[in-house]
Amino acid sequence: MSTSQGNDDWRRQRSSAIVARYSAHPTVIGLWSRLSSFDRAILVLFVLILIVAAFGPLVAPYPPTFADPLQRLVSPNGAHPFGTDENGIDVLSRLIAAPRTDVLIAVIATTISVAIGAPLGVVAGYFEGADRRAMRWVSEGTLRLLDVVQAFPVFILAMVLVAIRGTGPVNVVLAVAFVNFPVFLRLVRSEILSLREHPYAEAAVALGNSELGVGFKHLLPNAWPTVLVQVSVTIGFAVLLTAGLSFVGAGVSPPTPELGAMIASGAKFMIIGQWWVALFPGLLLGLIVFTFAVMGDIVGKLMEPGQRTIPSRRPLSKDHIAPAAQAEAAAPSAQGAVLSVRGLAIEASGCPPILDGVSFDLMPGEILGVVGLPGSGKSILIRAIVRLLGQGLQRRAGHVVFRGKDLAELDEKKLRAIRGYEILPLLPNAKSQLNPLVRVGDLMVAHIRAHSRCSRREAHARAARMLGAIGIGDAEHWLAAYPHELSGGMAQRVCLAIALVHRPPLIIADEPTVGLDVTVQRQVLDLMIELCHQSGAAQVLATRELGIVAQYCNRVAVLHEGLIVEMGSVRDVLLTPRHAVTRRLIAAADLRAVSAAATTNTSSEIVR
Amino acid sequence: MPTLKYIGRRLLVLVPQLFLISIITFTLVRMLPGDPARLELGPLAPEEGVVLLRHQLRLDEPLPQQYIAYLQRLLQGDFGRSWVNSSSVAQDLLVRAPATLELITAGMLIVLVVMVPVALLSASPSRGWLARATRRISFGYGLLAGALPDFWLGLVLIFFFFSVLGWAPGPEGRLAILDLPPERVTGFYVVDTLLAGNFDSFRSALSHLALPAITLAFVYGGPIFKMVRASMEAALRSDYTIYAEGLGLPRRTILLWAMRNAAPPAVVVTGVVAGYLLGGAVLIETVFNLNGIGQYAVQSITTADYAPIQGFVLVAAVFTMMVYLIVDLLQFMIDPRISARIT
Repeated sequence: MSTSQGNDDWRRQRSSAIVARYSAHPTVIGLWSRLSSFDRAILVLFVLILIVAAFGPLVAPYPPTFADPLQRLVSPNGAHPFGTDENGIDVLSRLIAAPRTDVLIAVIATTISVAIGAPLGVVAGYFEGADRRAMRWVSEGTLRLLDVVQAFPVFILAMVLVAIRGTGPVNVVLAVAFVNFPVFLRLVRSEILSLREHPYAEAAVALGNSELGVGFKHLLPNAWPTVLVQVSVTIGFAVLLTAGLSFVGAGVSPPTPELGAMIASGAKFMIIGQWWVALFPGLLLGLIVFTFAVMGDIVGKLMEPGQRTIPSRRPLSKDHIAPAAQAEAAAPSAQGAVLSVRGLAIEASGCPPILDGVSFDLMPGEILGVVGLPGSGKSILIRAIVRLLGQGLQRRAGHVVFRGKDLAELDEKKLRAIRGYEILPLLPNAKSQLNPLVRVGDLMVAHIRAHSRCSRREAHARAARMLGAIGIGDAEHWLAAYPHELSGGMAQRVCLAIALVHRPPLIIADEPTVGLDVTVQRQVLDLMIELCHQSGAAQVLATRELGIVAQYCNRVAVLHEGLIVEMGSVRDVLLTPRHAVTRRLIAAADLRAVSAAATTNTSSEIVR
Repeated sequence: MPTLKYIGRRLLVLVPQLFLISIITFTLVRMLPGDPARLELGPLAPEEGVVLLRHQLRLDEPLPQQYIAYLQRLLQGDFGRSWVNSSSVAQDLLVRAPATLELITAGMLIVLVVMVPVALLSASPSRGWLARATRRISFGYGLLAGALPDFWLGLVLIFFFFSVLGWAPGPEGRLAILDLPPERVTGFYVVDTLLAGNFDSFRSALSHLALPAITLAFVYGGPIFKMVRASMEAALRSDYTIYAEGLGLPRRTILLWAMRNAAPPAVVVTGVVAGYLLGGAVLIETVFNLNGIGQYAVQSITTADYAPIQGFVLVAAVFTMMVYLIVDLLQFMIDPRISARIT
C-alpha cells in the first residue's frame, strides 16, 4: 500500500544520508560540543531517568508501598511534598519508584520487538530485492500482511493479549513487543533495500558470500544507526502503552508502583479537586516519553558528523587578479549598461564571503559568460542579481544597478515587478524548477498575468503562441501537461518560452543546459541565443563549459573562490589566458574546439 | 480509464486483507480461554442448552468449518451476543458507534481548522509578528505533542475546566444527566439536536463534546501538525518555489502552490492518524464516559466478554483499512505523478 510505502521511501532517504556520513567517527568531546544546550539538558535528563529507574526505590524518602491510614489524601506539604494517595502512600516516593516498572517494561519489550523485527526485516528486504519473482511475491505478501496487523487497534490488541494470558508484567511486555515489532520489520527492510545497492554489498556478494549472509553480516550493522533512532522513539511509545494498559487495569496492577495505575487511582479524586495524586505521575510520564523521543533526535544528530562547514577561503591578494578585471572593478558604471554590478559581496552569516567584490557591466544585447570551477560562486552570483539567495545567505556589500535602480536596495514589491518581467532566470535542471503539481499552462498563465493585465483566456492564447514561436508543436497538449510528462529538453524549452514571453532586456542563466543530452543541449542553446539576439536581450550565462562560452558569448568573466580573477573578450581570455585558473579551465576543456571557436568568435567586436 | 483501473486494483487488494482480518479475529477469540457457548449462556445454564447452542454456532465442528460458519454469521450481520447483558453485539456497536465517530470527527475538525493553519503559518519564513508567534507556538507544541498520555490530559482538562473553573461539564457522558437524547437522525448529538431545533440540548451536547475533542486533537494532531509544517517548509525551500519567486509571481500564488505540494504527505499522515483513532481513542472515551464503541470494548475486556471484543476489533480493523483506501485514492487524485507511476 502506498500509504506505508511513502513512509518507507522517506525513511530510506533519510537513513542512507545518515549512513553515508557515518564513516567519520567523532570523538566524545567533539560530540558533546556539537550539541545545543537544549540537547545537553535532555541528555542529562535522560541519564537521570535511567538512574532513577535503576536505583529509585533505594532513594525514595518513604517505602513506596508503605501505607499510612492516618495520612490519606494529604495535600502537598513539608513532609509529603507531592501529597499522599488514598491509601496514605507518599506520592513522591511512589513517583521515584514507578519509572523502574514502566521503563523496564518498555525497554525489554522494545528489545524483543527489535530482536524479532530486525531479522525478519533483513529476510524481507533480501527477498524483495531478489531476482526470483516468487521471492518478491513472498516479500510483498508479508508487507500486505503487516498492513493488516497494523490496522488492528493497537491498544485493544494489547488488551486482548493481556486478557488471553492474564495480567502481569511479563504479559504486558509480550503484548507491547508484539504490537511494535512490525515497525522494526518495515524499517530494517527498507534499510536493507537501500543498502544492498551500495558497491560494497555487491562486492561482498561477488566474493561468493550468500546474499542473506551479506544481509546479516554487512548490511544489518549499517542499518543500526537508523534503528537506534527508532528504538528511542518506540521506547517512549511503549511507556505510554504500558501506562495506558495499567490505567484500565489490564497491565501492571497495584501495589507495584506504576505510573498509569497511579493516574487511574487518582482519577476520581482529580474530578473532585484533589489533583496531586494523578497530576504528578502524568507529568513524569510526559517527561519520560518526551526525553526518549528527543534522545532519538539527538542520537540521529550525533551519528551525522559535524555540520557541513563552508570551506574557509583565504582572501586572494589583489595581485592575483588580472589587470583588466581590476580596471573594470574600479571604473564607474559604463554609460548605457543594462546591468552594472559593483563590489557585490555575499556571505553566509558569520562565514567568509562566498562572493567578494564582484563587479561587471553588461551592455544591451551582450552575452557575458561566467566560468569557474565548481563551487566558485557562479550560481550564487546569478541568484544574487535578483536577490534569490534563499535562507542563510545575505548581501554584505555592493550594488546591483539595473536600468538605474539598485536591485539590492529595492523594496520587495518593486523587485517582484522586475523579477520575471525585466529580468528572467533560466536555472539548471529545468524539470526541478517546475512545480510538479502545477500544469505547464497554469504556470505560464500565472506568469503572464503577474506582469500584464489580461484575461486568463488571452494569457493562455499568448502562452500557446509563445510555445509555437520556439518551435513546440501541439502547444495545447503541452500546456495541459504536468512537468513529469516533459523530457528534460522539453522542460528547458518551456522555461525558455517563459523567459522570452515578456521580451525582457536581461536573462540570467545558470547552467541552462546541464543534465541535457548533448544534441538537445546544442538545440536549446542555439534557440536561446538566436531568440536573445532577436529580442535584443542581454545575458549573463554561467557555465562550466568553455566550449559554450567560446561559441556563444561576447565576453567572459572567470570566477574563482568568489572573485572575478580575469575578464575580457572571449578571444583575449581564451587565447591568451593570464590567470592560472583560466589556464586550468582551458586545459580541462577540449582544447581544439575551444580555440577554434574562440578564434572565429568575433562577437566582442560587434558589440563594443 | 486509468483512474477506474487503479480503483479496481486497489479494491482487489482489499479483499484478501479483509479475509485476513476475519481470520485473525476468529483466531483471537479461539485463543481466549473458555467455551463461547458456556460463556454466552452463563454458568447457571443447563448443560443441554450449552450443547444446543454449541451446535447452533457450529462450534462442535472442525476449525475450518467453524471459520466458515463464523464468516457466514458475519456476512449476515451477526456479531454474536454479549454474555454480560445478552444483547446483540452488532446492535450494541451500532448504537455506540456514533459517539465514537462524533468524537473523532470533532477532534479531526479541530486539527484541520485550528492546527493546520497554525502549522502552515509557522512554516512561512516571513518575519511578521504572526509568523513569529506561530513559530513559537509550534515549537512548544512540537515538544509536548506525542509525549502526554491522552487519558491523563483528559483528566487535567476536566480538573481545570470542570472542577476549578466550572466552564465545562464533568465526565458524565455526551449530555447532562437530565437531558433527553435527541431523535436519532445521524447519531451525532451535535447535529441531531440542531435538526430537532433544540438549542439547549445542542449547547449541552457541544459542551460535553468540547473537552474530549480538544484532548484528542491535542494528543493525536501532533504528527499531522509536524508533517504539515515540515512539508510546507520543504516546499517553500524547493527549487520550484525559488523559480516561481524569480518569475515574480504573486506571493499568494506561490503560497497556494506550495500548499498543493505539502498536501499529499499531510493527507497520508492524516489518514494514518484517523485510521488509528477508532481503536486508539478508547481511553479518551473511557475518561469522559462517552459510551462509544471503544469504551464498550474496554469494558468487555475487563468483564472477559469476548463477542464484543471480537466485534470491535473487526470493526476497527476494517475501518482502518477503509481509511487507508480513501487516503490512497485521495493521493491518487491530488498527485498526478502517482497516477503516472501506477497506471
